[in-house]
Amino acid sequence: MDTALNYEPFISEPLTWAEICQRYPDQWVCLVEIDIIEEQNFEFHSARVIGHGKTRREPFVQARPWRDKYDTIGHFYTGKIVAPVPRYFL
Amino acid sequence: MKVTRFDPTGDLIIVIGYLWGPGGREKRPLSLAIDTGSAETVITPDVVDELGYSPRDGEAITTVRAAIGKEHGYTLRAARFVAFGFAVPDFRVHVFDLASGWGIDGLIGLSYLRQFNYEIRSEEGRILVQRTAP
Repeated sequence: MDTALNYEPFISEPLTWAEICQRYPDQWVCLVEIDIIEEQNFEFHSARVIGHGKTRREPFVQARPWRDKYDTIGHFYTGKIVAPVPRYFL
Repeated sequence: MKVTRFDPTGDLIIVIGYLWGPGGREKRPLSLAIDTGSAETVITPDVVDELGYSPRDGEAITTVRAAIGKEHGYTLRAARFVAFGFAVPDFRVHVFDLASGWGIDGLIGLSYLRQFNYEIRSEEGRILVQRTAP
């Protein structure tokens, strides 16, 4: 179900990844103004949070009002990644 | 040669990748697992939907045989994909759902990796990547 209407657009102050993980533990987050150090590495000085939630989709829905302003919206999980990876065959 | 770092203590090798929307304006930095056992590079439907793609843009419907049975996805030509610092335009991805609790938005499979020589240094948490394809 699309729950976009249930959210007021918000944007956090610039936060480090450690601060984001502490504020939104075990959640998916959408980030903008990602002050990334090197393109190929997941290390940045700070970013602003514009969406968060327990499902992959929830932060995307909250981020929609910001899409006109931000071309780049990061999507990451703040918890520990412990995925079993299945095998794919086309 | 470019160097990509990852957390060597993690259960999976996770790197940052970038997927562009159909107009080439919007992009999404994502967490992706490197999976040399996957033929395809996989991106979840939530990501491609939000970028403005739809199943109508798909090339082919696919069937995945997983432990719990058959599940369907589709292939899509993404405007641009970047990982390890190397960009590939018009790149085919396999759109397929992964459990939200896994904490990743997709897999980097051999469809992307085969364009490079790469060396995974697990203890150091580094991947050395050199493009070989033109």
